[in-house]
Amino acid sequence: MTIVLQAEGLAKSYGRIVVVDDLSFEVARGECLGVIGPNGAGKTSLFNVLDGGVRADRGKIILNGEDVTHLPRHKRSHKGIARAYQVPQPFPDLTVFENVLVAASFAGRLHGHAAESAAWEVIHRVGLQERIRDLAGGLRLLDRKRLEVAKALAARPQLLLLDEVAGGLTEAEVNVLVDLVKSLKPDFGIIWIEHVAHALAATADRLMALHFGRKLIEGTPDAVLGSREVREIYLGIVDDAAA
Amino acid sequence: MAAVTTMLSRSPGRHHLLLMPAVLLVLALCAVAAPFVVGEGLLRLSSEILLIFAMAQMWNLLSGYAGLLSIGHQVFVGAGAYGMFALSIHAGVNPYVAIAFAPFVSGLLAALVAPILFRLRDAYFTIGMWVFSEIVTILVGKSNWLGGQNGLTLSALRDMDPDWISPISFWWAAFAAIGSLVLLAGLMRSRLGLALLAVRDNDVAASSLGIDVWRSRFIAFVISAAGTGLCGAIYFLGPAHILPAAGFDPNWVVIMLFICVVGGLGTIEGPIVGTIVYFGLRQAFATSGNWYLILMGSVAVVVMLVARKGLWGTLHARYGISLIPIRREPPSDKTFGI
Ligand SMILES: Nc1ncnc2c1ncn2[C@@H]1O[C@H](COP(=O)(O)OP(=O)(O)O)[C@@H](O)[C@H]1O
Ligand SMILES: [Mg+2]
Repeated sequence: MTIVLQAEGLAKSYGRIVVVDDLSFEVARGECLGVIGPNGAGKTSLFNVLDGGVRADRGKIILNGEDVTHLPRHKRSHKGIARAYQVPQPFPDLTVFENVLVAASFAGRLHGHAAESAAWEVIHRVGLQERIRDLAGGLRLLDRKRLEVAKALAARPQLLLLDEVAGGLTEAEVNVLVDLVKSLKPDFGIIWIEHVAHALAATADRLMALHFGRKLIEGTPDAVLGSREVREIYLGIVDDAAA
Repeated sequence: MAAVTTMLSRSPGRHHLLLMPAVLLVLALCAVAAPFVVGEGLLRLSSEILLIFAMAQMWNLLSGYAGLLSIGHQVFVGAGAYGMFALSIHAGVNPYVAIAFAPFVSGLLAALVAPILFRLRDAYFTIGMWVFSEIVTILVGKSNWLGGQNGLTLSALRDMDPDWISPISFWWAAFAAIGSLVLLAGLMRSRLGLALLAVRDNDVAASSLGIDVWRSRFIAFVISAAGTGLCGAIYFLGPAHILPAAGFDPNWVVIMLFICVVGGLGTIEGPIVGTIVYFGLRQAFATSGNWYLILMGSVAVVVMLVARKGLWGTLHARYGISLIPIRREPPSDKTFGI
């Protein structure tokens, strides 16, 4: 198995708040690493550090054997990191086609017809063909999430970062997305954050549970979901909510 | 109406590829002939209209397409004009030729200040541009080399045939106006144009998708400044005299802003409409003193209230009309055998 991503001792704090705390892990091609953890555990912050949105205070990010720790975000994108944001980030005044074309042209480094047909294919793959000429700013939630995934795919990544792409969707809609991600798995390494662990159990090869920025436990989905640590934090939340 | 709308908006690119050069050729021929047909007064007014239009289009490029709102663009008008004057006076370059160097002066100024101004975000950039413009105005006013508060006079022009000043100004102005259209249409259909649109809409997503946000903005900024400087130089050829207060007059940017806001920021057609409205109002009410300014302000406010995307922008959004389409059309399903 080829290792796509190696994260070594990543750390990030905002003032005295530690949001990513000494995290090390690996992702191989064809593998999906699920990341779970309560709200505020630092999952999104981990993606910010990985994709270059913020600089890590410490640690190393190795992509395909190359150290990308000090590259700015757009260069990491060229190296093959693509991300679907938790809060979709469309280009509202561009059409769906143009949105995906941006991804294919710049992150995917395609030109002319190659870029256009790549965008076209990805849009069909995620089921957005009916909206292809619509402005992205007017899409409903599911379509905005699909567009977010479409852009990440059109980027032709080595490493795909999915941040709660199933959040806010119905059961049926989640299944569509899960199938989509499963069909993509062979092509690249995936890190998939989902607040709700069940959506991940079916897709992820391994799970990593975060709490206060730190790795609680990592292993097979069954082992992680069944572990005392994970049950404690999730039960803890249930208790809080009930109180 | 619906049929026309569909035809205008959905016509394939190939159709326009032939139409655009044809229209441009006709415009260029009209421009060449105009000085021989039109009287002196009208020719001067036409030059002014064309220059203001081109400046508005340059402001549109930066603010409407690159998303950088500048209220200091007068600095580039003055820089281009002063650059041309200085080249002619201090280096003896023919003024008509010196105009061609003006864009390099204003463009260079933009390139030099960009690393500082680009550290400022959004409203801070806007204010930063204004402060920068004020600083340059003061420095120019203190520079003996640039004539200080007395300004500079283009004395070389005195030795030239006066009959040719207006026609040559006009040809330069027509070149700037047509050039601004071609530049914007070409740019927006290019890869860089797509990058700019993406950056304008969402800079986080743009950089996530491999776009060098800083570089895209930088290029737009420098092109916009260069074009504005060219127009400034052409404009001051006629008066043959420039003062800091005239070259760096904040009114320049107010006019550019008015035209783009009224016509439609971020559309290529908008500034055409805005320029017509601006000069229409000015010609109709110029004699009524301050009332004309109040009227301008009111028009801008009313347009912003009832048609937030400007006159053309609103038409475009509602009916999909587009004279110079820059939307990228998806390949047809047939191409892929579906
Ligand atoms: N830019 C920031 N400045 C300060 N604190 C931040 C910033 N971004 C995130 N945080 C904090 O980091 C913690 C982790 O947030 P986040 O990574 O979004 O969690 P998750 O995605 O797991 O819900 C939260 O406490 C959040 O308030
Ligand atoms: Mg999050």
